[in-house]
Amino acid sequence: MKFRAVMIDAGPMREFSNVVTIISKLSKECVLRLTDDHLYFIVSEENSGPSPPVLWCEIPQRMFCSEYQMIGLDEEHKDIYMALSSGNLARSLVTLKTAKSLKMKLTKKQCPCLTLEIETPCVLSQQTRQVTHDIPVTVIPRKLWSDYHEPRIPDPDISIELPSLKQLRTTIDRMRTMASEVVIRASAEGRLTLQIKTDMAKVSTRFKGLNVEAFAGPIEHSDSETEETQANEDMSRICYCRVDAKKLSMFLSAEQIASNRTVCSVVHKKLVILCLQTDENVKLQCFISGIVY
Amino acid sequence: MKCHVPGANVKVLARTVHALARFGDELYLESLPDCILLRTLNAAESAYAMVKFNKNFFSYFNYNFYSTEDNEGLKCKISMKSALNTFKSPAHIEKQVENLEIKLDPESCKLIFQLKCRHGIVKTHFVSILDCKAMQAVYTKDSVPNRISSPQRILSDALSNFQSSDDQVTLEATSHSLILRNYIDCSIDLTKVIRTQISLKPAEFDSYLIGADTTITFSLKEFRALLTFSEALNLPLQLHFETTGRPAVFIVHNGTTFEAHFVLATTKPDNASQTTATQNTNVERNKRKDTSTLGSAKKKPHLETDISKCLDEDSHLFNFVDMPGENEINLSNKLSGSIIKDNVNGKDRIDLMDCDNIPASPAARTMIKSVFKRCFESTFDPRSIQGAVLAENSDSD
Repeated sequence: MKFRAVMIDAGPMREFSNVVTIISKLSKECVLRLTDDHLYFIVSEENSGPSPPVLWCEIPQRMFCSEYQMIGLDEEHKDIYMALSSGNLARSLVTLKTAKSLKMKLTKKQCPCLTLEIETPCVLSQQTRQVTHDIPVTVIPRKLWSDYHEPRIPDPDISIELPSLKQLRTTIDRMRTMASEVVIRASAEGRLTLQIKTDMAKVSTRFKGLNVEAFAGPIEHSDSETEETQANEDMSRICYCRVDAKKLSMFLSAEQIASNRTVCSVVHKKLVILCLQTDENVKLQCFISGIVY
Repeated sequence: MKCHVPGANVKVLARTVHALARFGDELYLESLPDCILLRTLNAAESAYAMVKFNKNFFSYFNYNFYSTEDNEGLKCKISMKSALNTFKSPAHIEKQVENLEIKLDPESCKLIFQLKCRHGIVKTHFVSILDCKAMQAVYTKDSVPNRISSPQRILSDALSNFQSSDDQVTLEATSHSLILRNYIDCSIDLTKVIRTQISLKPAEFDSYLIGADTTITFSLKEFRALLTFSEALNLPLQLHFETTGRPAVFIVHNGTTFEAHFVLATTKPDNASQTTATQNTNVERNKRKDTSTLGSAKKKPHLETDISKCLDEDSHLFNFVDMPGENEINLSNKLSGSIIKDNVNGKDRIDLMDCDNIPASPAARTMIKSVFKRCFESTFDPRSIQGAVLAENSDSD
């Protein structure tokens, strides 16, 4: 097994550091999967059963790395899977924002390590200094690879483009102080509603005129639900999902990444998929399963 | 003693106290005819700091204000907490305080700090004096082969790469590079910690002189504190060090008014293990095993050779038999064990270092022998205890 990659461009390095920081906020541990053309960061639920991963992040190596070499186990198993502490990785990459180059290597230094060699400019002189971080990793054996395959998700009922994440995050963070669950409601007319209910109040924030990318309606609602909604809405064109507000807020901390668009897909009452895509073709997907009573 | 510190210098004094507070819990103040010395020592006795303020640091300096006949300097020990209380928020103190008056009366039990602030506010702190002794470490900074003078930012920038959980740093100095790495104790699971290594080129430093390649390990907490100090005062830092086991001396001075020395104990190298960051367990593990049995011996690795001897000879470990008394040059060998020398006048010994009179620890083996004495007696005959009831039968219900 061999791996070696070099990054030299400031933009991608900054973005890489941002992406890793987001991941470290979402989870302590993550799995890094290396393939010929992509790096993947995968986060599974802590007590991972058959459930799909919580986070799936694809980074195309060509956009980021000037050099990229890897050799997997053998011809049939070309990938490398390793588990590492995302906090460790994020903290080591903090200095990447001012760095000149980053070299990543898979090494064996008493234990398997992901070695990061960061070349940073000196404050006062033209010289550079070399910083090396050895982050311990656990190489994941082949029989467990299936746990980290790309999740098979049911076809979403609706995919709607989200408004600015910053705005959304402030909204959610306000709501989070009042209730732990939030209902995301998306309509085929381009409306997105975030709603919380407490004993004292019902708070909703509506966003209008959003771009609907796909709609696979009509949605069937049971009779008991229809009474909750406004009369003038066509219920068959609305789907919703109740999710944990904390998880949603954590994903929204991804606002730091300069993204070009974020799409929210909802599987009616079951799952919310948030997918963020950047100019460098990084795809960060977050899966938040719905809470059903 | 009475002195006035002008507003601009109050900041320096405040920064000093804050830096020293990261070292020790007690602050020793000594006033001499031409300067004031502040000193502290950490609890493990592995780090010592001394800051000397010359007469011209003060706008008014009267060493003999209370006109005592005693020509010796006035000395006092105060708690670091109360000193910190006097110098809160060093970043702003310069704007608020116009003048500071320090008074030390040999007859009084309080050290007085009087801060004259803007708008005519006067704050007076009466700080209890805990003791009237001074403490002094003996170390050499002049005859060492390795000297580096560093602009203030460089090392702190380098340290920012370390994790906040790292507590010791290893510095590997050769004539063509300076390598800093976090020191991994063998008790820590290697699969949990990041190993970080930073390589600095000599060109980054103002001056770089390594006479003898060496590797030293010392505590990061105090190192960070003294770097903060040099950065806050915008002064370069000088490193004077010899080899491992000998103290490393860090000097910050502005040439005229004050000079700060920070002395840190260095631990023994792990010879082979230090050549690359990749392999540093075995030797280290052995070493740690030795020292861990000896409590705080980690801080006194220079004693190791003595220790192994001691172990052979049934533990005279805490006897310090070979403590070289007044022999100053030798003292630096024995860093933390004897970093503290006697009081300047040689009479008042600091209690905790007054170990010459402590009897040797009882030999462990003898102890065991006496507990199980009969088992070791060559003439032990089980029949001899027959008949005698050693333990009565308990009640039969």
